[in-house]
Amino acid sequence: MITTSLKRVGMLTIAGLLLAAPLTFFVAGAGAQGRVVYQTTRKNAGTPNSTNVTTNSSGVVISYGNSAITYNAPSPKLASLGQALFLQNCASCHGTEANGVPANGTSGAYPNLVGLGPATIDFWIESGRMPAADPRAIQAKRRPPRLSSKQAVAIAAWVNSLSPSYPDIPTPNLKNANVSDGAALFALNCAACHTIEGDGDALAQGTYAPSLRNIPAYQVVEAIRTGPGNMPRFTGNLSDFQVRDIVKYVTTEIQHPQNIGGLGLGGLGPVAEGFVGLLLGVGILALVGFWVGERQ
Amino acid sequence: MSEHDESRTPVALSGLAANDPHLQPAARNPQLVERVIAMCFLVGIILVIGFGACYWVNAKPWTLGATMGGGLFFLGVGLVAWGKYLMPRGPFVEERHTLANSESDRNAFAAAIVERGGTVIKRRKMLGGLLGGGLGIFGVVAIFPLIRSLGPLPKSTLFHTDWRPGSFAVDITGRRVHKGDLAVGSIVTVYPEGFQDTDNGQAVDQTVLIRISNQDFTTQKGRESWGPAGYIAYSKLCTHLGCPVGLYEQQLQLLVCPCHQSMFNATNGAVPNFGPAPRPLPQLPLYIDADGYIRAQKDYGQPVGPGFWERS
Amino acid sequence: MSSEVINTKRAKQAAAGPYGKVGHALNELDDRLGVAKGGRTFLDKIFPDHWSFMLGEIALYSFVVLLATGVFLTLYYIPSTALTTYHGSYLPLDGQRVTEAYASSVNLSFAVRAGLLMRQMHHWACDIFIGAIVVHMARVFFTGAFRKPRELNWTIGTTLMILAIVNGFLGYSLPDDLVSGTGIRIAYSIILSIPVVGSYLGFLVFGGNFPGTMVIPRFFILHVLIVPALILGLVGAHLFLLVRQKHTQFPGKGRTENNVVGTPMFPVFMAKTTGFLLIVAGVTALLGAFAQINPIWQFGPYEASRISYAVQPDWYMGFLDGALRIWPSWSFHSFGYTIPLEVTVPAVILPGILFNIAYVWPAFERKLTKDFAMHNLLDRPSNRPKRTAAGVAVLALLSMLFIASSTDVIANFFHLPLNQVLWGMRILVILSPFVAYPVTWKICQELRVVEGGGKRKTTNVVTRTAEGEYVATAAPVYVDDVHSELEASEVPTFIVDETDKETGPGTRTVDR
Repeated sequence: MITTSLKRVGMLTIAGLLLAAPLTFFVAGAGAQGRVVYQTTRKNAGTPNSTNVTTNSSGVVISYGNSAITYNAPSPKLASLGQALFLQNCASCHGTEANGVPANGTSGAYPNLVGLGPATIDFWIESGRMPAADPRAIQAKRRPPRLSSKQAVAIAAWVNSLSPSYPDIPTPNLKNANVSDGAALFALNCAACHTIEGDGDALAQGTYAPSLRNIPAYQVVEAIRTGPGNMPRFTGNLSDFQVRDIVKYVTTEIQHPQNIGGLGLGGLGPVAEGFVGLLLGVGILALVGFWVGERQ
Repeated sequence: MSEHDESRTPVALSGLAANDPHLQPAARNPQLVERVIAMCFLVGIILVIGFGACYWVNAKPWTLGATMGGGLFFLGVGLVAWGKYLMPRGPFVEERHTLANSESDRNAFAAAIVERGGTVIKRRKMLGGLLGGGLGIFGVVAIFPLIRSLGPLPKSTLFHTDWRPGSFAVDITGRRVHKGDLAVGSIVTVYPEGFQDTDNGQAVDQTVLIRISNQDFTTQKGRESWGPAGYIAYSKLCTHLGCPVGLYEQQLQLLVCPCHQSMFNATNGAVPNFGPAPRPLPQLPLYIDADGYIRAQKDYGQPVGPGFWERS
Repeated sequence: MSSEVINTKRAKQAAAGPYGKVGHALNELDDRLGVAKGGRTFLDKIFPDHWSFMLGEIALYSFVVLLATGVFLTLYYIPSTALTTYHGSYLPLDGQRVTEAYASSVNLSFAVRAGLLMRQMHHWACDIFIGAIVVHMARVFFTGAFRKPRELNWTIGTTLMILAIVNGFLGYSLPDDLVSGTGIRIAYSIILSIPVVGSYLGFLVFGGNFPGTMVIPRFFILHVLIVPALILGLVGAHLFLLVRQKHTQFPGKGRTENNVVGTPMFPVFMAKTTGFLLIVAGVTALLGAFAQINPIWQFGPYEASRISYAVQPDWYMGFLDGALRIWPSWSFHSFGYTIPLEVTVPAVILPGILFNIAYVWPAFERKLTKDFAMHNLLDRPSNRPKRTAAGVAVLALLSMLFIASSTDVIANFFHLPLNQVLWGMRILVILSPFVAYPVTWKICQELRVVEGGGKRKTTNVVTRTAEGEYVATAAPVYVDDVHSELEASEVPTFIVDETDKETGPGTRTVDR
């Protein structure tokens, strides 16, 4: 009985992995021997290749990073709480093993979470996307989080305990960030989807790039480093210092734009400007003209 | 003004009595309207002075615009109201005289041109031809310095980029991309080393480097060795209008052009599957050298970017 | 004051004639230029002042605002693509390598007093200018004001609209920010798509391959000198023809093909129109004060490999962008050559057809209706169902193309898949003229049979006949609507009348 169900779980896992193609490659290397490291050469890109690695007495990495971003592993003590929360909130889709295989056996429909790293789990829960309001939606929507920050970290701790991986939960330090470099990097790497004003827009097949107007700094780091959903991941292509600059730009200029010229018109650019110019500009003047002229 | 009353001869109107309704103001209560107009002018004056004051103290831009705009608006409203309500209401009429002249005038005009000109030119046909020819030739010859000097000829510039066999792929900061840099699902814009700061490098050579897998990846038959370690590279110039195709959806594995939403399937050689782009994005063949750096095998081998006549 | 002084003064006044210093100056002018008679005629010139004739004035006066604010901007703008490092008050740009054009655009916004206001006014005035031109053109079209003898002025007006759109695009390109740079890139690709000569043309315009260094200085001189000079000259011709041929008027009480009823140039029309100029400038300044337009500091400088999503051109280019989006990817390859139909058709051939329809319409209509007569009285649009329907069909097509330029914004706003929105717009664009034409035609037909329809302040009374049929008839004219009851009178002539000399002080002379 147990063997058959195990076999089934195994087969379904394989099927799930094949279907979740992009994740498969990443997850394939995850094993019990240690944390998955997805990049090797670039220093400071979300993994403990840099200096400042702190380990506990048994040699497990508990934090790493630098003056720009510090990554903290969730405390293993929270794992049991996390498991309870996971079973309660997440297991109906992701399965009791967090491997994407729910109890009813419909595999492949939901992502395998094993080996995704604490930052990924934390991002999805703390941005309110998980637990999902509509599990069948093409793309989970950002909502007020249903679970508290501590609960999210606890779940991350438990999932991480199944197969330890990176990146850990980041804390950016924006004090010395260069907002100007951030602006340039934003224009090159982010604006293509999120727009230069950070409003987001519709993408292919019903997906969309979300607005960046209301996102806390650490979640911006998490999104950049883990690439949630269809967002590409930025790993060795951006250093922690560059990520910090982008985060500074997003949390200041994008979220509080300097609309020195008046009302920002929703950041929609020429479309909104065209409507204002035609309706308010030409419209008001035509009304004035209606008064100036005769109606006969 | 009192001198005027004595010196100027008072006048009367022909056709209309001074109290003719056409000459009366349109307003039913001119005193009230006059007061309202005066208020408009006063408000306008105050706002225009305010504009000067705001400028003087270098106040915020909106205060400058509000005072100036409001001032002009109120002065304008007052002036229009003055014209509309306090000046003679009319309506007046004016005859429309036909623009056309009499038959004889027209004939004289036409005759002047046809006959005078005709006789002169007919008599000296050769001279007219020579003059016309000279001016015509000058017109043609002048096109060259006027137009041809504007820029170089395209020659083969549209057919190749700065990617050479062995070019290192570098990011915007000039840093070489190493095979360990990108996780699966990552994207970075790369340039041939040495060209990341040039206009041509930015506009023509720009290339998106995607890590689509962690094993060698083949996008199309015949491109078996082009995607080492899952790194594939496409021209970043949309084949529709040349916008940078910087939008990558990693789960759908689609490259999307932000300008007109052409979508290119990254897994099968960037064949467009939606939108107005007619051709796949050219793929750059890559290899990984002994030190692990991503390099180009050769140039694209076809023009990048939008279509043009000479492109086969 | 001694009597001697008074006498001297009187003598002077006598020498100056009855109209004082102004009269004296005018006499001096007339001695040299002979302006008195023509000037008098001009001051007496009658302008019909139907409100819809003000639409062209909006365009004219926003052009005045454009010239004034544009001159201000040229004093600070540097048309150069040379690279410099921005160090200014806007910190998110501090230290970035940008072009002189971009740096000077940001600096004239922030470092020059009233600079941002002037830039925003200039941009708003441009949006209003072209908008007013389009609305004015629609008025002229639907009322048949383009008919003989005014075909030439219609041609000039159409040319003015094209020049205004071109100059708007050129000006939009000058700040060299991310959004406008993308626009230039697209313009280059469109030039490239022209069969046979495209690549040569592109290289000549841009002085080499995109982006090159010449495009900003060239666009600048086109934008501030060559195109405005053309516009100014054609505006002059437009107004000269208007004065020469006299304005059209709607049919009405006392109005015929052979007269003009309205208000005289001086002082009534002068007061109203000058006031309107001030109002146009005022509204533009208020928009510039409260509504931010084109915040180039947020867009950042253009670099060819940077891109933002949801980038649209200014509204008047929107129909081209929409056409480029919805046109399918049909490219033509043969004999080793390519015709990029996916670009050439929507971006070159389509506007070519549309503008040429505008140019040939008067001749086309003349041929169709065989109406070669002079027309000074305007049509009610409902009385010309076919023309009105054709115009509405073209406007509907253009509006749909404009909406198609923001398929992504629509998809995002209504949470619809992009692909469906695009297909929806393709269908709507094709359907729109075919729906608009019969619907408009039918509405016009209905309006024509309503007695008194389209006239001012006449209420229709619907009565049920004994047979059960409903009939609409015009209600009586309002009693207090006196204005329209007056017959138009001749512009009064003032004549010197010695007998009135005795009226003395207190007599009110009528100042005209």
